[in-house]
Amino acid sequence: MDSNWASDHLQTIRTLMERSAVYRRALAPVMLSSGFIGIAAAIVPCFKLIQSNRGFAAFWMSVGFVTLVTAYVLVRRQALREQEPFWSPPTRRVTEALLPPLIAGCAAGLFLVVFDHFVQRATWLLAASWLALYGCALNAASFFTPRGIKLFGRAFVFAGIALLFAWPLVPGDQTRAAHYVMGAAFGVLHVAYGGYLYFTERRRRA
Amino acid sequence: MNPEPFLNLDRVIHEKGRLAIMSLLAASPQLLFTEIRDTLKMTDGNVTAHLRTLHEAGYVAFTKSMEAGRAATSYALTPTGRKAFASYLDLLEQIVEQTRKK
Repeated sequence: MDSNWASDHLQTIRTLMERSAVYRRALAPVMLSSGFIGIAAAIVPCFKLIQSNRGFAAFWMSVGFVTLVTAYVLVRRQALREQEPFWSPPTRRVTEALLPPLIAGCAAGLFLVVFDHFVQRATWLLAASWLALYGCALNAASFFTPRGIKLFGRAFVFAGIALLFAWPLVPGDQTRAAHYVMGAAFGVLHVAYGGYLYFTERRRRA
Repeated sequence: MNPEPFLNLDRVIHEKGRLAIMSLLAASPQLLFTEIRDTLKMTDGNVTAHLRTLHEAGYVAFTKSMEAGRAATSYALTPTGRKAFASYLDLLEQIVEQTRKK
């Protein structure tokens, strides 16, 4: 009797079970809703001036919170519709992967809220670091999601790094520019990716 | 080497295709027929035949529903199927353990 077949079998079983546990909720509605919230939020500073570090950080952290809650509400609706538990092992794994970089981003924002006047002109740097950290979060979650999320996450990481180095080159009102960056990244990019997912996920499920 | 664990392996599960289906279902509350087929890259006929065998053994249950105006069949492990799969894994681990001791 071949002595390795049993361990090969166990390995195959493990691989298949992991593949089966991949997060299967449709991500298009989540991306689209996040994108539209991001775009709407980026329009707000055009009407109401949000210039201070504290204002910028608090405003975009609130937007992030609303986006996150909306995303989980949409995921829960999908789970209910498919008569599956909302807090399933894949959902838990994705959340656990997302959390550390998101908490780090939250801490960076809170730092600016609390120590507003110790740091000058930090909104651009905060936006850049949020993009990079969000990219890290997506990259970590991508181990349990379809491949596209990994590329999307890495694009955010690279964009964040590029913005960091572009900091000295930004002319004029950096906070206004930072609002536009947030709107473009968390709004426009999400809508574009959500639109792409909307069509590809539908085709895959058909 | 003690051949007993090998002889006790459940023949219904031991077949490669059925084992793959059982593994997928063990990690998910339920899966659509198309999800099983696409994940394992099997033909419709193959998946149907294996699922029928597993259903006849009482290891798999199915539910039919309408999804976006189309009929969809979902499959899930029954408690008997879950128990049989766990026993199968136990036996495999025993075999691996025996091999290590040799």
